[in-house]
Amino acid sequence: MNFRRLLGYNLLTAFVLGIVGFYVGWWLGHQFSGPSIAYFADTGQNDIALFLAYLVGLIGFLSGLGFASYPIQRLLGKPPSLREKETAGTGRYFTLCTDHKVVGMQYLIGIGAFIFVGGLNAMLIRFELLSPTKQTFNANNYLTIVGLHGTMMMGMMTSGILGPFANYFLPIMIGARRMAFPRIEALTFWLLMVAGVILMTTVGYGGFPTGWTGYAPLNDQANMGMDSYIVFFALVGLSMSLLGLNMIATVVTMRAPGMAWGRLPIFVWSVIATSVLMLLAAPVLISTLLMVALDRTAQTGFFNAQAGGSPYLYQNLFWIFGHPEVYILALPGMGILLEILPVFARKPLWGYRLAVTGMLGISLLSWLVWQHHLFVSGINADLRPFYMLSTELISLPTGFIFICALGTLWQGRIRFTVPMLFALAWLFNFLIGGLSGVFLSDVPSDVTTHGSFFSMAHFHYTIMGGLLFSFFAAIYFWVPKMTGYAINERFGKIHFWTMFIAFNSTFGPLLVIGFLGMPRRAVTYAGYLHGGNTWVSISAFFLGGSMLVFVGNFVWSQVFARVPVGANPWASKSIEWQLPSPVPVHNFDRIPTFGADPYPYGDGDGAGDSTAPRVVTAPARPRP
Amino acid sequence: MRLQGHAGRIAALTVVGTAIVLPLVIFVLGPNMPPGHRTTGASSQVNDNTVLLVVMTPFTVFILAYLAYAIFAFRAAAGEELRDGPPIRGHMPSQIAWLVVTSAAVLFLAIFGTAELFASNGAGGGEGPKPIAKPSGPVLPVQVIGQQWEFTFRYPTYGGVETAELVLPVNRQIEFHVTSLDVIHSFWAYELGVKADANPGVDNVAYVKATKTGDFQIRCAELCGLWHGYMFDTGHVVDAAQFDTWIAGERKQFTPVEKYLPRYSVTYSPDPQVRAG
Amino acid sequence: MTELADHSTDYGVVAAEPPEVMARNLRIGAHLWASASAFFFAAFLFAYFYLRALDSTAVWRPKHVDPSLTLGTLAAVSLVAAAVLLRFAVADHRADRLNAWRFKGAIVLALLLAGVVLQIVEWSTQSFGPTDGPYASVYLGWTGLLSLFVVGLLYWVETTLATSFRYRNTRRGAPVPAGHASGDGDRSDPDIENPLSLIRSELEAVSFYATFLSGIGIVTWFVLYVL
Repeated sequence: MNFRRLLGYNLLTAFVLGIVGFYVGWWLGHQFSGPSIAYFADTGQNDIALFLAYLVGLIGFLSGLGFASYPIQRLLGKPPSLREKETAGTGRYFTLCTDHKVVGMQYLIGIGAFIFVGGLNAMLIRFELLSPTKQTFNANNYLTIVGLHGTMMMGMMTSGILGPFANYFLPIMIGARRMAFPRIEALTFWLLMVAGVILMTTVGYGGFPTGWTGYAPLNDQANMGMDSYIVFFALVGLSMSLLGLNMIATVVTMRAPGMAWGRLPIFVWSVIATSVLMLLAAPVLISTLLMVALDRTAQTGFFNAQAGGSPYLYQNLFWIFGHPEVYILALPGMGILLEILPVFARKPLWGYRLAVTGMLGISLLSWLVWQHHLFVSGINADLRPFYMLSTELISLPTGFIFICALGTLWQGRIRFTVPMLFALAWLFNFLIGGLSGVFLSDVPSDVTTHGSFFSMAHFHYTIMGGLLFSFFAAIYFWVPKMTGYAINERFGKIHFWTMFIAFNSTFGPLLVIGFLGMPRRAVTYAGYLHGGNTWVSISAFFLGGSMLVFVGNFVWSQVFARVPVGANPWASKSIEWQLPSPVPVHNFDRIPTFGADPYPYGDGDGAGDSTAPRVVTAPARPRP
Repeated sequence: MRLQGHAGRIAALTVVGTAIVLPLVIFVLGPNMPPGHRTTGASSQVNDNTVLLVVMTPFTVFILAYLAYAIFAFRAAAGEELRDGPPIRGHMPSQIAWLVVTSAAVLFLAIFGTAELFASNGAGGGEGPKPIAKPSGPVLPVQVIGQQWEFTFRYPTYGGVETAELVLPVNRQIEFHVTSLDVIHSFWAYELGVKADANPGVDNVAYVKATKTGDFQIRCAELCGLWHGYMFDTGHVVDAAQFDTWIAGERKQFTPVEKYLPRYSVTYSPDPQVRAG
Repeated sequence: MTELADHSTDYGVVAAEPPEVMARNLRIGAHLWASASAFFFAAFLFAYFYLRALDSTAVWRPKHVDPSLTLGTLAAVSLVAAAVLLRFAVADHRADRLNAWRFKGAIVLALLLAGVVLQIVEWSTQSFGPTDGPYASVYLGWTGLLSLFVVGLLYWVETTLATSFRYRNTRRGAPVPAGHASGDGDRSDPDIENPLSLIRSELEAVSFYATFLSGIGIVTWFVLYVL
């Protein structure tokens, strides 16, 4: 072992500097004193110290990875450059690397790990709810588990598809060799990883009692663990905003010749629609969390009713971010669905323009609906009809996506591969999610369903049933391209069927249980709901088990079995499948020229069994 | 009309499926939808739920029938997996039809929901300090005060008496005034079909009229900290005579402590917040 | 392996990208980040008007909560002046008056720095603290955030100026000497064909962003001091 290699910019340095930075910040925070923050001494709750510790720790970690080097060199007047460590080898996955494909892989594994943690929390929640009154965890731990589950999922899954798959495939799909800002691309990933670790450290500071919504004034009252939540979400917001910026800039500027807007693959359109929301909504979240942090440290009164502030302000600001956020979660799934259906129905996408309109429409409308989260809160009661209308209007563009999916299946030649199964399951799950959403959008119905397990089951149908199913669809569809190794089909199908059945067996009953009067986030519940909850818990454990099937299959297929796939195992006509698996570092030997529609199925000579892409031509000679 | 081709068969499946499901929804599922028929607000919610289900049914049946049909009829034949399907890139009439039908449904739902909201005096939901959907005629105001982690109740027309349990007379229009002393809670009386957030410094009004006597559950429906899960209670709807007896007894108990409590007010400003839990 | 790419192809095919690509990226990036910045401040604008309209306990703005109009105006003026001067600097660069642009750039740096310093002076001399009602809260949060953004702008202008200054003796269009591109220590060749030609695009991008931020500065001044 060459110990010299441990020196320099790598993960080890990053951890060391991160930990050192943490304690430097912690020490620094304790140097502040003043009359308004005198209570620190009494309670040991030094929020300033913890904020500074996280901040300096973050800077230390990123510097250790090498992120500080470029800004400092620019400060000294060195000219700009694009790439860092775009080499081969396994080491590039563990450090700052600006190859968009490496970042995609990093996202896949990194986000996967945190989703696994979030999923384990869900298992603990269901374990607690096996009994209506008996407590396995105490009340505080239960709330922390609930908060960790919700926050981890909502924070990490925002980049769940864009992170791994858009980073990897978006440049390829538009015929580019890189993202517009490769260094920012790498930064978004590492910010997210640091954020995830910071969120988990909340356990050491007493956890946080607010769930993922972090409502004021409870967030002001909470212990230091709340600071972890604040820093986590602010970093996730920053990561999201930069990711969105990078995606839009890439699509606008990096498209290959011939890749007109009307020829973008539909997945790229869904990424655009999502990115607009990410770019613009996340800053609202960051500002809001800044206000919360000021309330907790400098004793300002943004959300404190006694000091002239208002908890309503937090609810408004949070949901101005929060509703776009849930479409940030939903839209990429729609893109995956419509990207996969043509391949396995062997038909062009039906209603391309309608699908694009639907996605952009959802993106726009999602800004106008936020107060439907506040129908019974007493805010602007006279505006409820407007928010009811605007919320229900979202079902129109969502309906576009459905009709396009159904139209694509029309007279297709459907192959029931694992990704196709997940895509079809998306349709079923999202249908139920959408229909249950109509109850929540209707004010009289919402009176009972609001804040109950019904709404919880509703958004699990859209997020887990929609996003996570499309996430798995994308994994089964694209990971063979990313690694060059097949994922075992038989175990994939076992995974699909156990997951699909267990998922519906978990959240279907939860819709009913919620309607029957079970509030969210409560550690106890009424005795008459015991049977239903037991059923749900057991189903949830099967759901967790299905994830183990996946993890086992994934690790076995990708690490041990390693059955190589060819360039185009699905016989797809999209451009990413015309490249070798895995894609070479430089993507294209020569930048291609696009000639037509991205889904040229059935356009051929009538025999129609060709898999060759007639629309992509490489220019005759390399660019001078 | 002769049904032929894929479209005809899917249409037939949809029509038949709707014809089977719709009566079940209207006559079996609908009337038994939560939260039941014990108050005016709850009844109007049940109506709403039924109407929503009725509107959704044809769409749901169509999509599921289409999916099921597609899975069986459009599966690739053995050996033809890689044959391309027909290059259909859209069909304007069906796109327009879909847009028109879904728009009509959405507009109907929004108008119906609004009408129902006003007709039912807010259907038991919190409407803020100045409710716009409110009943005419006399009301019995009842204040609900949320604090970590219990609800207490005050009856301003009975001398502001404060009670630990909620008792309501049947067949009288109740006007809940929901407020909080600390963080946000949500007053959820499930069987009454009432839910209103309790915000510090805010008077959140909700209307309901119980039409049957009996017990109902009260739960906090907004995460409010450590013992949120234990913030529940049982309330009672009783007839007028029982209510009068009960409230008289409460007032008798209340008189000695009256001077220690703040006067009745729509909101209260407690001591500056302290960190708890 | 396929007609589009091959693993055995040398990585060198991607080296030396034409600078126009990055120039376009800078332009679009500046616009996108400006729109994101607007939403950072939109949250504070929302908070300002929400709490002002609500005024729940009649403590929106007690009499003594009165930040110095002089200092605030000076800070806003310095930001606007920096943005205007940067526009002239861009014109200078376009007209190849490089020394003039560098001189103006240095003044821009000084102006931006002065703006931040004025804000800090304001915080340390004002007659109220963060606990003095909602206005004070919004004031501190908003000005603090704006100062952070101004520091960011300061950094961006500085990098452009520093690059221009460091290569002041390099002939226009001449390639950057090996090892001078920042970034990966393993790579000595620049990965952009002549990155120095990016100075103008970067200047244009930062000038756009500075103008935008000065707009936010004017809104800040108007809402917090005048309204």
